[in-house]
Amino acid sequence: MADSKVDKIKYGILKVIDVSGFKVFDPPVRLLFGEEPQKQIKDIGRYMVLPILFVVGCIFLWTVIAPTHKTKSGEVPTPTKVWTAGQDSLRFHEKEDEKEKAFFLSGEDRLAEIKEVEALQAELQAEFEKLEAISKETSANAEAETAKKLAPLQKEYDELKAQYKEAQTARKAALTALSDKVAAKQAKSADLVAAIIDNDTKTDAEKGKLKDIKTAMDDIRSNPPKEVKEAQLAANKVADEIQHGKKRLSYLTTGNLSEKKASFVAKAEDAETALAASTTGKDALKQAKYVVSNTEKADKADEQKYPRAASIVWQTHRSLLTVIVGFIIGALIAIPLGIMCGLNKIVMACLTPLISIFRPVSPVVWLLIFQIVVGAFFPDPEKHPLFVFLNSSINPLSYFQTNPAMIFSACTVAMCALWPALVNTALGVSSIDPDHLNVAKVLRLGFWSRLFKIIIPSSLPLVFAGLRISLGVGWMVLIAAEALSSSDGLGKFVWDEYQNGSSQSFANIILACFVVGIIGFFLDRLMIILQRFVSFDESATL
Amino acid sequence: MSIELDNVSIGFGPPSDRYEVLKDINLSVKKNEFVSIIGFSGSGKSTLMNLFAGLHTPDKGTVKLNGEVITEPGPHLGMMFQNYSLLPWLTTFENIALAAAQVFPNYSKKELADHVEHYIEMVKLTPARDRKPHELSGGMRQRASLARTLSLKPEVLILDEPLSALDALTRGSLQEDILNIWEAEKCTVVMVTNDVDEAVLMSDRIAPLTMGPEATLTEPFKVDMERPRDRHALNDHPEYQRLKTEITAYLMRLNKEAKELAAASGSQYTMPSVMPKNFTPISGRPSLNNKVSQPS
Repeated sequence: MADSKVDKIKYGILKVIDVSGFKVFDPPVRLLFGEEPQKQIKDIGRYMVLPILFVVGCIFLWTVIAPTHKTKSGEVPTPTKVWTAGQDSLRFHEKEDEKEKAFFLSGEDRLAEIKEVEALQAELQAEFEKLEAISKETSANAEAETAKKLAPLQKEYDELKAQYKEAQTARKAALTALSDKVAAKQAKSADLVAAIIDNDTKTDAEKGKLKDIKTAMDDIRSNPPKEVKEAQLAANKVADEIQHGKKRLSYLTTGNLSEKKASFVAKAEDAETALAASTTGKDALKQAKYVVSNTEKADKADEQKYPRAASIVWQTHRSLLTVIVGFIIGALIAIPLGIMCGLNKIVMACLTPLISIFRPVSPVVWLLIFQIVVGAFFPDPEKHPLFVFLNSSINPLSYFQTNPAMIFSACTVAMCALWPALVNTALGVSSIDPDHLNVAKVLRLGFWSRLFKIIIPSSLPLVFAGLRISLGVGWMVLIAAEALSSSDGLGKFVWDEYQNGSSQSFANIILACFVVGIIGFFLDRLMIILQRFVSFDESATL
Repeated sequence: MSIELDNVSIGFGPPSDRYEVLKDINLSVKKNEFVSIIGFSGSGKSTLMNLFAGLHTPDKGTVKLNGEVITEPGPHLGMMFQNYSLLPWLTTFENIALAAAQVFPNYSKKELADHVEHYIEMVKLTPARDRKPHELSGGMRQRASLARTLSLKPEVLILDEPLSALDALTRGSLQEDILNIWEAEKCTVVMVTNDVDEAVLMSDRIAPLTMGPEATLTEPFKVDMERPRDRHALNDHPEYQRLKTEITAYLMRLNKEAKELAAASGSQYTMPSVMPKNFTPISGRPSLNNKVSQPS
């Protein structure tokens, strides 16, 4: 019995692997259960080890080639730099989380947090001092080193300069003498011209030599040894953390939501006592106004939100939400239309011109059209009830900070994702097995039960194949749309990085490239799994 | 229920490229009678079955059930399709339940389940109750299809080459099952087959279909043997042997005539290329000796 139990687990795992489409993991699982070890090891070697080696090879090639290409935005980042950029981006997101938490903390928790952060600050300060010292030492060492390297060059430069100056004065004197002779007709004028040319060439050569030495010196100055940069970076990193700790403390104290509210309440109370004690009418009016304004401020404090800075994690979440919203809108339009097209040749004939003309239109054009059309619905987005509702502090969706840009990005995604789903649904419905329709006829199924019991189930595999393509198209379109429309998301992240051009931007762009790719991959896998679930035939869909 | 074909003709295609499949078909099936239609591949047997089921309407003539003209298909004309036509996304049980629920909308869930179970048991498919068609063997699919058709409680059972896709052993056992069910349920059966043994074993009458185009039914052979018939004992039955020889000879003659006719009349028609491999393509208008008609 034990055997069959193990078998059950094994086939369960294999089934999951099969459905999710990760066929690569099939041999290791089989090997683990001791099935034909030799064959499995061979397969692992072929389909797992070799591909991994290939990818490692590609990364190695990248590491080697990247630094050799200098661009305006610095060197092409190596994999290590991209990895660091990724870690920094994650840390940035964590920092935002910490600050947000600090902003909303109140009571005992707030005090405890203050203590904790202060302790951390002290630690960081100590570390910073240590690192700063190291950095100073290294840079001092490096400077000494540089000075040592520079000294001979400087000496050579000075010597040459003096030498050249002398030579130049001598040549000038010779020229003057020669020109006098020419004026007195004692020498040929051609000789004078030749002498001037000779003088110019020599002067140029001397200037060039001096410039070469200067460039060499500049090179040494502007390229301090790696250690200096690294030590500086390490110190800077801790300094950043300290800066962050300070911000966090400020959010825990003066910038804290409950503190702010309490201060308004206190002010209102003070004003009230002052109002009660007021003697003149003018004073009373002033105090009463004070009470009202502070009470209002205290009431409104609850609606305040933490002004979150956009991190790559948040941008990713927003992109995902946008693509899903757009995809759902697209699917909701495409599937019913596709079914109608598949069912009725007249509908198909009516829609074919529209499909043929609009399908090849570029997403960029759609984006601009939607930007104008959708924008018109929200003349004042801040006050539009939809956004007020979505972004109110009690709504969990306020995390995404919905705005019109997001809506027309989603519309663009929908518009571009529509076509594959539409065409495939129409195909699925129209290519239904006539035998199945005969069954429906014999059973005298009504229109709706024929639709829901025969036609839709039978066309589902093709519908999902279309949806899978749609989602892929939608994800690609979205990134471009976000970059163009400045709708927050991965596309905007890439665009912003391109525009701001800091030392890490290039690495961040490549990081975003990987994030987009990996998410696209998982979205596709998700659709494959869904497709496998609705497929009644066992043919693999890959 | 009796079913009757009265001078039925049907053809397909536009007038410029008309293909007359069946012409002047007359057949009357009595109540609870088992009639087989035997013919060569491509002679229009499935078209004939679709006429019985109401899936096609004849160009000329009428198909009548109990004297009333059939105008549309329905569950009372229980058609069992040649290629099973089970819905691949439903299990055996669900396939049958979908059909039964349509015919017996007043059944409660329990009654419906019992009804479906009854038929699944009848065709001996209980172990495969929750399996999907692609997990079933050909024979099991055919049984499921049979159970679905039977669960409609049809007045006429129309079997379109139900067993032709099966291997000989499966075929034998299904033949017996169909006969047993027919005897238990007592309904009118029209079956299409291309197997003479099967036709003789199962039917009360056997109607041969001539070669197409313009195929027609000729005088049926009557099978006068007591039931239940045992296939092994039947092998030595003189009547069985006589019928088998006679029908086979008749069919061979049809085939030969068709070929001769084609040779004699030269190539007037090009046959569609849907013939089996071992048939030589023929041209001309095959027909019986005494019914040669002028090309229209």
